[in-house]
Amino acid sequence: MDTGWSQTEVVALGVEAVAYAAFDAGIKAVFGYPGTPSTEGFERAELLIRAENAGRKAHWAANEKVAYELALGVSYAGYRTLVTMKHVGLNVAMDAFVNSALTGVQGGFVLLVADDPGMHSSQNEQDSRYLADFAHIPCLEPATGQEAYDYTRDAYGLSERLKLPVMLRLVTRLAHCRGSVARRAPDPVSSVGLPHPSEVPGWVLAPANARAQYQKLRQKLGPLLAEIGPYNRLIPGSARRGLALAGLGRALFFELAREAPSLLEWPRLEVSGLPLGGDLIDRFLGQTDEIFVFEEDYPYVEDLLRNHAVGVAVHGRRDRTISLTGELSASQVRDVLGIERPAGKAPVTLAVPPRPPRFCDGCGHVDAFVALKEALGRAGAAGTRIFGDIGCYAMAAEAPYDSMHACVEMGASVGMALGAAFAGLQPGVAVIGDSTFVHSGLPGFTSFARARANVTLLIMDNRTTGMTGQQPVETVDMLEAIVTGLGLDPAHVHTIVPLAKRHAENVAVIEAALRHEGPSVVICRRECVQASRKGVNREHDRCVREAARG
Amino acid sequence: MADLAHDPYRLILVGVGGQGTLTLAQMIMEVARRSGYRALQSEIHGMSQRGGTVYAYLSVSRGAILTPAAMEASSHLLIALEPLEALRYLPYLRSDALLFVAREPVRTLPDYPDDPTLFAALEAVPGATLVDTPALAQTLRLKQAGGMALLGLAARRLPFDAPVWRSVIAERFGPGTAVTEKNLQAFAHGLG
Repeated sequence: MDTGWSQTEVVALGVEAVAYAAFDAGIKAVFGYPGTPSTEGFERAELLIRAENAGRKAHWAANEKVAYELALGVSYAGYRTLVTMKHVGLNVAMDAFVNSALTGVQGGFVLLVADDPGMHSSQNEQDSRYLADFAHIPCLEPATGQEAYDYTRDAYGLSERLKLPVMLRLVTRLAHCRGSVARRAPDPVSSVGLPHPSEVPGWVLAPANARAQYQKLRQKLGPLLAEIGPYNRLIPGSARRGLALAGLGRALFFELAREAPSLLEWPRLEVSGLPLGGDLIDRFLGQTDEIFVFEEDYPYVEDLLRNHAVGVAVHGRRDRTISLTGELSASQVRDVLGIERPAGKAPVTLAVPPRPPRFCDGCGHVDAFVALKEALGRAGAAGTRIFGDIGCYAMAAEAPYDSMHACVEMGASVGMALGAAFAGLQPGVAVIGDSTFVHSGLPGFTSFARARANVTLLIMDNRTTGMTGQQPVETVDMLEAIVTGLGLDPAHVHTIVPLAKRHAENVAVIEAALRHEGPSVVICRRECVQASRKGVNREHDRCVREAARG
Repeated sequence: MADLAHDPYRLILVGVGGQGTLTLAQMIMEVARRSGYRALQSEIHGMSQRGGTVYAYLSVSRGAILTPAAMEASSHLLIALEPLEALRYLPYLRSDALLFVAREPVRTLPDYPDDPTLFAALEAVPGATLVDTPALAQTLRLKQAGGMALLGLAARRLPFDAPVWRSVIAERFGPGTAVTEKNLQAFAHGLG
């Protein structure tokens, strides 16, 4: 089918393999919001689209919900699309996500979600497979980069046949696993057309229409199971002990089975697609007396099996055969299967202190926090609690800053500081980054701006989405207009440049804001040193300079 | 061409964010690919880039590899751009593993051990070689000389031909440039 192209091999991360596949599947556009470990997926698609320069679109959105809606609009227009996010980003996109299953999709729609078991760079390790189940959409889970490519290519056809979004679920270890990936011949960028007028009511989720759509969605389960069937395999074996393997659990098992080939004679259920049919589960369980389940993150497949198991012992996370939390480790799988642990080096007696990430040399956040700490002391509020947010600046929770006493989810600082102030903790102090503020701080800020409470919001404006690798922020340098536009008295909007040489004046500004018996905003604006080095805002700044010259 | 000492051969490269750990790993991977081997690399991105600990775990094989996920006591060779990081990843090494370690502490921690204690602990590890990378960097007037020398030391244990190494290094730093020449010298220093 694909002669010359089948030899095209690239070296790609797992999330990049998804991007190559989406590009080759003829997507019209890719959207996302940065979040480790999903970011490089969008960025690879963006590079391909830019290099091609043929009118396709790559756009970082203000948040995942917006990204999802942009993608849904592309799909409505009949084109294929990709939207990327990390697991907690899907919480933000939840409303669009769940309801897009009811409307269904027009052009093929793939959602790349990167889960982070072990919380390498996340605030939780939630498992997105439950959300695919919750929304009644298919979920494909590759174990290798090549599968990530192949499944994504397949997912577009699957999405168009079922008229449903398809979730591609990756975990950190695959998302950031670099290897060779063979690409296949590309599909053209073409539209299947707008929804037929008779289908338009299905896109208008007023209750009467929504009830009909929900019935249709429920009726898709049969075709869905038929389509997903080939992704799940039952391999018979000669033992009465069995293995259920999904995603990285499957990859890990096969790596370890090199050392214990007899394990390959056990019957196996290999799960790469959800939903998982009950028939297959029953046939697998019928061959076994005892099974072991290896999957990444929550015990999702394990619980499905447990629900069907009669007289079959199921071992996994629930019975603590494997730890209920954290990444699936090779050592755990070894111990469970009785594969001897190899002899390692003798440990050294010297204690190895941890090396946590730290602020870059020259980072403006440091100067801002030093000024904040002193200003709090001067304003008689040294003992107050500071509500923080998601970004590099959350590192201020650690010594020597000790300047963050809560950090929950994107945008939480604004609402929590205000709520605490309503409860008497005044001055209420919140710290948020510019990208996080635009992502999810704005709705909370509408309450903040006119609150009758002493609340101060510091916006750590580094003119980029810093922590995820310095992506552009659309609202660069617009924060003063945004906060006053949302109702804050301009007299209480201050902009400072966080630099050591301006320490005294910055302390004075923050102290005045803390003492003001109403809402204040202090915008601490200095570009991220990494963003400066990369020239993230170079084009923007050039345009502004030219406009100023007239 | 000689073959891998073990198949799959597993390497772990460690350092501090910003030292170029992942770049070194990618060069090994590219050399392996061009030499007809399969290679897979597991990396940690994100917060760890901000001066935190960084590692890349690399598996090289004649056949298919499914996951390079870090497996305890499984690596055959460690390259450490920073000595304390070498000790941190000791549990990932096989008993017979070789360690090539830069004698170049990055002291961004309050409770970092002093040089004699740290180096003594490393020298007591069987298979460890400490390399005076600061001296090499000074001689060659090249900041990343140490990493390239460690790469050369590792290359001695890998079945890939020197011209392949040299062409990958040259492509990384720009063919025919002065910086490429210095990197090749540093690599040759390690290769011996």
